[in-house]
Amino acid sequence: MESFVVRYRNLLVLLALLVAQILGLAMQVRRAGSGQAGNDPGDGSSVRLIRFWANSLVSPPERALHSSGSGVSWLWNNYIDLRRVRQQNAELQKTVDRLRLEQAALLEDAKQGQRLQALLNFQQKYIYKTVAAQAIGTSGTDQSRVFYIDKGKADGIDRDMAVITADGIVGKVRDVFPHTAQVLAINDQSSGAGVILETTRIRGILRGNGAGQPQIEDVIRDQRIKAGENVLTAGGDEIFPRGLPVGTVDKVMNDPDRDGFVEVVVKPSAHLDQLDEVLVITSTEPRFPQDQQQDMAASEALKGAEAERQKTSEGMAEKLPGLIDPNLPADQQPLKDTSNPNPVSRPPMAVHPDRFTPGSAITPNVPATQDGNQGAPAAAPNAPPKKKPTPPKPPETSPGPTPPATTQPATPQGDNR
Amino acid sequence: MSVLSAESRRDYEIHRYPVLIYALVPIAALVLQAWLPRVMGRFAWFDLPLVVTVFFALSRRNAIQGSILGGVLGIFEDALTGHAIGINGIAKTLVGYLAASVGILVNVENHAIRLVMTFVLSLVGSATYFFVVRFLLGMSIDTNWLMELYKALGNSLIALVLFPMLDRTKVRD
Repeated sequence: MESFVVRYRNLLVLLALLVAQILGLAMQVRRAGSGQAGNDPGDGSSVRLIRFWANSLVSPPERALHSSGSGVSWLWNNYIDLRRVRQQNAELQKTVDRLRLEQAALLEDAKQGQRLQALLNFQQKYIYKTVAAQAIGTSGTDQSRVFYIDKGKADGIDRDMAVITADGIVGKVRDVFPHTAQVLAINDQSSGAGVILETTRIRGILRGNGAGQPQIEDVIRDQRIKAGENVLTAGGDEIFPRGLPVGTVDKVMNDPDRDGFVEVVVKPSAHLDQLDEVLVITSTEPRFPQDQQQDMAASEALKGAEAERQKTSEGMAEKLPGLIDPNLPADQQPLKDTSNPNPVSRPPMAVHPDRFTPGSAITPNVPATQDGNQGAPAAAPNAPPKKKPTPPKPPETSPGPTPPATTQPATPQGDNR
Repeated sequence: MSVLSAESRRDYEIHRYPVLIYALVPIAALVLQAWLPRVMGRFAWFDLPLVVTVFFALSRRNAIQGSILGGVLGIFEDALTGHAIGINGIAKTLVGYLAASVGILVNVENHAIRLVMTFVLSLVGSATYFFVVRFLLGMSIDTNWLMELYKALGNSLIALVLFPMLDRTKVRD
């Protein structure tokens, strides 16, 4: 017997284990048959204990794995699994650079469009004929304030033409080439423009100083010149039309060379350092818009027609008989026109006429007419007929002429010194 | 597969491992078996407790220890499933016994033998599991043998990697 157990020990242990588990299963299945199966509270205490042990054994490391799994996943995604990230980064960087360039180009185009729109609006409203040009280059040195534009002789540009922007004057054309031109800015030391201060009407010559600022020279010291005053072109230099904005007074400094004179530094209206588009005034003949030209033509036509009509009327008046014959009484006039809706009103007859009565002061010595209307002009053909006699005129205190009652009141005789 | 005579079995040494390995590796197998399917989803084609059971049974060449280890691991697996305890226990008890019994007869140092044995024992474990569920418990179960083949193959591949790693921890006399 002992040898049997020893010989088949392994098999016996296997059978014991299998039988024990089968019996355990059978017990659980029996509980399940009575409605107490699985992990519900109907499990036997031993089964619940096994489940508790298993759960206690597995759950803590599982929880740790779960929490560290997130860390591992984060580590994997952010530090390990970064294949092609460098290549993608380089591609994205290229894309960002390209988009930045495109954005800058678009922004520049938009700004240029706005500037050109403003310039076009100004050009359309401006009275003189202008040519738009683009600043394409500079002299390359700070000592010379000249720049080049992309329009030249072929575009109608000529020497000494004024160059302006919508903000104010810029300079004048100094040299002209077939397709380009050199412009001398107003802040160059060799430039010159006649200007006038808007409020004080003080005139002067605008030149550039050593610092590249335009300033007005040869101005006698005047306390009225204040910073902020507008400076306009005076129009006397035959380059810049009169009244164009130049800038504003920035500061007033005493002329170091001459006592009693000041130098008025001007802050230019045009952005002389950031010029892109300019206008060259090619003709100072006034140029009106089409609608204004039509208005002017119509006005001229109306004026001609009116003159013709007036001339015809005068001719007709000479040929036709007069409407009013001064030699005929009122009821015998050739034309008794009663169509006038607003006939000349006459004052009613005075009940007690005196020397102030209209007509009496003018003709004091005229004898009374038949109906007693003293002083009434005999030439008045359409005078209304008198209905009742005028009372007798009071005696005159003075036989001399009486001053007109309409201008001055009568002065008592006794007070006449 | 080289089959050994009874005399030559003694010529093979019995592998011994630190106690920590005996304790931690089965626990790690249980924990990973419970955790990895959450990460890998339906591609968790492996049974780590079975692989560990086969490894220790082959290494120890002791059918009793292999049976007990397989039974305990199976019971803990059942305890985590919520099903009746003992289904996996029976299957892995049988696997542990067979692995230890065959380990006496063959050269388990050979990787190919380990691969084949793990593959076959995985199928035996699956068959036992289905047998218990279907015939002992009388429960219906969907039998997808293709999945069981995948699982056996996965176990074999894991064994191919894991066994040499665990061999490095064995105690040298």
